[in-house]
Amino acid sequence: MNDWRYLSARDLGLQTKERHCSPLRESDLTSNVLRLGWLMTVRTILKCWNRLEICGLENLPAQPPFVIVANHSSHLDTVVLASALSARWRDQVSPLAAGDYFFATPPLAGFSAVILNALPVWRNRRGGQRHELGDLRGRLINQQAIYIVFPEGSRSRDGQLHEFKSGFATLVAGTAIPVLPCRLSGSFAAMPPEARAVRPRKIVLQIGAPMTFETVANHAAGWRRIAAVAREEVIALSACESPARKFHTRRRSDKLLLTVRFTRLWLRRRLRGLAGLGGALP
Amino acid sequence: MNSTAWQHLFGWRTAFDHPVTVCAVTGILAALALAPLVIHALSRLNVISPQLHEELWRRWKSWLWLTAAMVGPILLGAAWVMIAVAVLSWFCFQEFARATGLFREFPIVAVVLVGIFALGIANVDHYDRMYFSLAALTSGVIAMVTLPENRPQGYLQRVSLGILGFLLFGYSIGYLGLMANDSHYRPLLILVLLSVELNDIFAYCVGKIFGGRKLLSNISPGKTVAGSLGALVLTTALVTGMGKSIFAGTAMGNDFSLLKLGLLISLLGQLGDLILSAIKRDLGVKDLGVCIAGHGGWLDRFDSLVLVPPAVYHFLSYELGPLGQNQPMRILTGG
Repeated sequence: MNDWRYLSARDLGLQTKERHCSPLRESDLTSNVLRLGWLMTVRTILKCWNRLEICGLENLPAQPPFVIVANHSSHLDTVVLASALSARWRDQVSPLAAGDYFFATPPLAGFSAVILNALPVWRNRRGGQRHELGDLRGRLINQQAIYIVFPEGSRSRDGQLHEFKSGFATLVAGTAIPVLPCRLSGSFAAMPPEARAVRPRKIVLQIGAPMTFETVANHAAGWRRIAAVAREEVIALSACESPARKFHTRRRSDKLLLTVRFTRLWLRRRLRGLAGLGGALP
Repeated sequence: MNSTAWQHLFGWRTAFDHPVTVCAVTGILAALALAPLVIHALSRLNVISPQLHEELWRRWKSWLWLTAAMVGPILLGAAWVMIAVAVLSWFCFQEFARATGLFREFPIVAVVLVGIFALGIANVDHYDRMYFSLAALTSGVIAMVTLPENRPQGYLQRVSLGILGFLLFGYSIGYLGLMANDSHYRPLLILVLLSVELNDIFAYCVGKIFGGRKLLSNISPGKTVAGSLGALVLTTALVTGMGKSIFAGTAMGNDFSLLKLGLLISLLGQLGDLILSAIKRDLGVKDLGVCIAGHGGWLDRFDSLVLVPPAVYHFLSYELGPLGQNQPMRILTGG
């Protein structure tokens, strides 16, 4: 006979505000359903309004944990990356967001935590930040999480790729957790930092091959190396756009188009056959 | 929906028709108004420590909105009581689920949510048989819902926790909504809520004054036999006193029946408290939540309420005939 094992919520005993900001936060049914609704809505809008195209979906690992590293020039970047992942991972996907911005007020913190499932990283907190990153690393490993990280630290104001900060590397240094370099194109044109609405510009997401940093030591030099490698990979992705590696919806639409064409051809032949038959009748 | 049903569900103009409602609401408001003065005076006289002073202030502030949340729906109409009861059931179940880890079993939590919603509908519809059937139906669905996962490990634990949570916090607390279908629901609900809450306070105060032997030291080290007996006597006296006015002219109007009702409320109130204490000790947590400052979570405040409503409902139905039989039935579904 097995003993009963209770595993209380890791964030039990935290006030709502503390829970929103805690890396111990766990999803419940309500946030799960809300997140699904949000994800479906965002995907539909991105597909219709921004003609979202995703290349390299085959590079996604079969199972979490993994870390997605991408360039950052728009608020759209987070939702684009989240919508590229399977909906069944919605409770595991957590964008690492600036705490001083996304968790500044209780309503915004509630939205960031419940809907986006974001986890705060507090900028300009030197001692505390290292401790927080340690907690985030623990969550990544123990809870099989997926992190979306923008190592530039903030949105690019000119649309260009800037230097990567090495803080994110503490999450993966010395582990076998895959890091996926991703390149976002078009999100700056669709929603630059000063814009308040999304413009109907095409967005392309390129997902690169996963890298691991198992042999890289978990210290400052190792972190810098990881940051440099990740940046190089993201830059390298900018030239890899290939019409052969299209997003599955595009494939679906192609299939639909082919089906329509095939049906038309089939009908035309049948009608011709019928006409021929009719002509043969006395 | 006819005008009688509408008036019963949403009629707030009749809120103070019964003298017990007037007296009880006035008494509660007076107590809330006097409490800060008493706390301040005790602090000035150095009877209580600064920490206790701070704790009492927190509790008093919480009681302000708790009172509004409990008395407000009763005064506004039966429909609001039923909605408030369903919300309270959901909050209590969520706390239980988070503490036990059941919240990770989304299918079971979803079934319990639907079950609580259905109980609320049965209450608003005034469809007693539907309400009673939901205990068995929901338990059955909880047992079935995780089968497609093909995961026998932990099956018994998650199903048992789901059924226990639903029965204690959905079905049992939901009886308060069923009671709201009676024509005199306001004084009746005030009697139940007031006596259950005061039962806790009586036990605490008498226990502090007399001390003595612990009741169940492993489950709840703070509770004493003296406190328990004191609460039994005082709550029974309170229920008998209030009940004389509420049940005047009915089969419940005699002292013996009211004495039984008072003992039932006090005893089950204390047992409910002990059940939740046992759950907390088993889980190794002090409080099940943090949303009510100074009290803990919803279950820490309303633990005494989990067993009382069904017992009171069936006791009164046994003595007086089914509660609410003089009100329109199956308001929404017809038939």
